[in-house]
Amino acid sequence: MTKLRGAAAIVGIGQTPYYKRASAPDPEIKLALRAIVAACDDAGINPRDVDGFISYASERNDAQKLMPALGTREVKFAALTWIHGGGIPGALSIAASAIAAGQAETIVVYRAMAESSTQRLRVMVAQDDTAAQYLVNGLESPAQILALRSQRMIEADGVPASTLKVMAQVAYYHARNNPGAYGRNTVLDDETYDNARWISEPFRLFDCSRENDGASAVIVTSAARARHLAKKPAYILSAPMGTLAGGGALEENIRPYSRAGQLGVATRMWAESGYGPKDVDVAQIYQNMTGLGVGALLDHGFCTAENAGEFITFDNLIAPTGKLPVNTSGGDLAEGFIHGMGLVTEAVRQLRGDSVNQVPNAKLSLMTGGPGDTMTSTGLLGTEETL
Amino acid sequence: MDYSYAKHKINGGIGADDQFWQGLEHNEFRLSRCNSCKNWTWPAHYRCGNCGGWEMEWVALPPEGTIYTWTRSWYAFDRVKERAVDVPYVTVVVEIPAAAGARVMGILEGSEQGLKIGAPVRGLIKPPSEKTKHYPSIVWQIQQ
Repeated sequence: MTKLRGAAAIVGIGQTPYYKRASAPDPEIKLALRAIVAACDDAGINPRDVDGFISYASERNDAQKLMPALGTREVKFAALTWIHGGGIPGALSIAASAIAAGQAETIVVYRAMAESSTQRLRVMVAQDDTAAQYLVNGLESPAQILALRSQRMIEADGVPASTLKVMAQVAYYHARNNPGAYGRNTVLDDETYDNARWISEPFRLFDCSRENDGASAVIVTSAARARHLAKKPAYILSAPMGTLAGGGALEENIRPYSRAGQLGVATRMWAESGYGPKDVDVAQIYQNMTGLGVGALLDHGFCTAENAGEFITFDNLIAPTGKLPVNTSGGDLAEGFIHGMGLVTEAVRQLRGDSVNQVPNAKLSLMTGGPGDTMTSTGLLGTEETL
Repeated sequence: MDYSYAKHKINGGIGADDQFWQGLEHNEFRLSRCNSCKNWTWPAHYRCGNCGGWEMEWVALPPEGTIYTWTRSWYAFDRVKERAVDVPYVTVVVEIPAAAGARVMGILEGSEQGLKIGAPVRGLIKPPSEKTKHYPSIVWQIQQ
């Protein structure tokens, strides 16, 4: 257990619509402002009172640029989590740490992306930091690099390829109930999945996350203050970030290789929160690619390589009746992709009882960060009674 | 020597592998290990995390190994557009037993028959070209 367990909570969520990439009506910074103000409205907090700003990866709408438009009284804390999509929920952990240490009181954690304000999103997220060893050999995209990992998971570890299809079908199934989901009109039956074009084997089109313009934000404050605000708090029970020895920027020399690189953070999260895989009611699993979502489930101990085919089935993973409903808004694949930030808001909605695919009486809500990243994080949120 | 790769330097990753590329331009397949404890350090870095040594030695090795994993790319992604004419192409990650299992990437050339994890492969060093962004490269062939 750490001092941070339950010390802070998410009390407001805000999000713009998901726009087709490069088609948002507003520039990126305006999208960020809209999401932040929406999150403040949801929490019943004046945007002027936000005194901490935290984001991750290639976010460049920093506090300095936002504060004039928010009427910020004083910025007391600002930070960017290193790395890529692996940075959330670690960003929540930084917020909780700053609050517990008295550095700030009301922190927004946010991410905004608009291709028209930057460049092709899938290039931008790589931060121009891809080693020559990849580019010289025709490898550029996360889709290709993560394909290498998942090919090994299937061929050498024996995890059935069917698990990738299930992860995609579950996401698209949940998206159909979500009016805001970008992929809500796609019926992903076996034929549609199987006939979709290859991107990088073993990934077909529907194994890959989307790229959307949009912004998403959550407000984090102390547990003591959270109890007096408008919305039911989602307490941050544990949200560790990090990498075990054998991981890091090792250009396909990481050991272990084929999963999500989340064994270390998952182990610490279970220890810090006092809960285990069997206790989780609902999970938002960051999926840059389906195979890495499968890897995240393995690393978190929901199943093993040996029984992955039995656990990762459509019936087990859908709300409201599955053993572990995952990606209940449609997730990165079927709802939309703002670098995974939309998963945080859905994890909170589940605890409030506001999801379009609500899991009855959900108390423990998991949100895993970008899998296969050089460093990553994972987070468990809970209601008051889980503290 | 004027190295082609140095004139077209890609900045990304750790960037301690100049001698790997120089080796390939001299038609040698070299990997790095710590001068003190002899631990193989791959990808190359500036300090040995095992013993703390700062000196690396670059050892020429026979380009032989087995396929650790692979993918077949069906799309010419933004930053590797030079390969559009080759789509679909296979990239392999090769495990090098002579370097304690260090893994090196490369394009699979020749027959794809027998393409699977564990298949023995042999490397062939190629001069810099547009497709390899003016870097030298090592391609791999399955040993039938």
